Amino acid sequence: MENEDIKNEGALPDTDKDASGHNTVNSDGNSMSDESSEQKDHRRKPISKIWRAIFVFLCLILITSFLIFFILYGAPVIVELSSKQNHKTENSVELKKDPVYKKQITLLTKDIQRLSIKFNAYTSGQSYIVINTTENRFFLYTNKKLVREGFCSTGSLTMLKTEKGDKFWVFKTPKGKRSIHGKITNPSWNRPDWSFIEEGLPVPPKNSAARYESGVLGDYALSIGDGYLIHGTIYKRFLGMPVTHGCVRLNDEDLEAVYHTLNIGSKVYIF
Amino acid sequence: MENENNAGTNRKVIFIIPISIIILFIVYYTVMLMISPARKLDDIRNEFISKSPDKENSDQRILMDSAYLKLLKEKSFLQSRIVMAETDSIYLTINLADSSANIEISGVVVHKAKMSDVKTSRILTSGNENAILSMLAKPFVIDYARSTIKKEPVMIKMAPKDTSEYKPDIMPDTSITEPVNYILEMNGGLRIYVYQKENDKFSERINQLKFDLNDRLNDTWAALKSIAVFKVPEYHLFIKMKLPRSDAKIIYRALPRNGLIAVFK
Repeated sequence: MENEDIKNEGALPDTDKDASGHNTVNSDGNSMSDESSEQKDHRRKPISKIWRAIFVFLCLILITSFLIFFILYGAPVIVELSSKQNHKTENSVELKKDPVYKKQITLLTKDIQRLSIKFNAYTSGQSYIVINTTENRFFLYTNKKLVREGFCSTGSLTMLKTEKGDKFWVFKTPKGKRSIHGKITNPSWNRPDWSFIEEGLPVPPKNSAARYESGVLGDYALSIGDGYLIHGTIYKRFLGMPVTHGCVRLNDEDLEAVYHTLNIGSKVYIF
Repeated sequence: MENENNAGTNRKVIFIIPISIIILFIVYYTVMLMISPARKLDDIRNEFISKSPDKENSDQRILMDSAYLKLLKEKSFLQSRIVMAETDSIYLTINLADSSANIEISGVVVHKAKMSDVKTSRILTSGNENAILSMLAKPFVIDYARSTIKKEPVMIKMAPKDTSEYKPDIMPDTSITEPVNYILEMNGGLRIYVYQKENDKFSERINQLKFDLNDRLNDTWAALKSIAVFKVPEYHLFIKMKLPRSDAKIIYRALPRNGLIAVFK
């Protein structure tokens, strides 16, 4: 066998050595088959390395994903589950007979009654109107009951800037609680500066006849202060849309109902 | 053979060390987060119990009585609403008991919305009743809001030089339905999450996911920063709800930037 090993060694001068430094030879001494298996091994090694690298890479991705998912979604759930406080409530009959308890309950009930009366007094029994500027709708109430609702037009949320940029106007309907300051029939519109600037027209002097326009505000107008009005419109197709310069526009029938329902001092709630 | 064994052991060590670090980190992170709600409750207790007028009530049994607590809840909510009604501002009331969210102005309910899928912090629902009720007796103030829609979508329009440049206003496009999701961060660490109920479109779902993920990332980053210096991260009480898109939009646009909110549980 030794001689054969020597012969084989001679025939394969480039044979690889194993980890201990010995040449590796098949037990039957077939050098050709040994060569081909080693070549296969050589070919397999890089492939297995690639697979191993892919495996490690996938593991890393999996671990990272788990970590991210746990931190973002898992941990908050665990925190919530762990935060339950055991605050017990009782319904003891014995306690209900206790004079201290009875006194406390009476005091609380009185407090609630007092607060309820105070709170209910905020809602006027008189007529009032609610205007929703996001959906451009109005709701008319009398004696705390809804009597009419419909579409309206409110501020367009447009900022008009002059060419020089020295003047600007924001066309929005003021939100909050307002009240009816005045009621007008057959109103005429006293056009402000912006209405001329918006159309590229020269601005006439104050109180000029060119500023007055009749028939564009409908049959009625209700002033809600600071120059804002609830009035009619000739642009009925725009009702339900935010297109005005801050006033509230209604159609003719709704305007008439609102005009006859609301009095001076009636509340206008705009949100 | 020995070298191969050594290489194998090295590989194992290379795997075991980072995995151990990750596990340790997860445990540390979770434990620190788990401490935070208790801390928050302690803070609420310290802040509100001492100021509570019911502190004189020495009988602890009364404070645990369900009928008494029911009345106390009602009183807290009314107190909050009266404080807000006196401000003349637009405010929101959230009633967790009947799942409603109402806009009110000076005590008048001007808009009602029905909430769905309401989720709240456990502290709010099962925490120390007196501390929580004392906290709810005062309205919350919005510190900041993060939203997918603008509060006031103001468009800028330049004035024409003359009549030839003037173009009459065209009809606004009302078909645009942007997704409505927002978070209102209140004083006292309460967060109100509002998500639109309509989620049929894929883009809406993606938008909501992105919005939620962004919030989670912000929270996680804040928590990691606290944990890095061995500090317990801040816990935020929360109320999460779904509202119809139109209601969610109305509420967001109606509330002032530092608007008030009262919660009834």
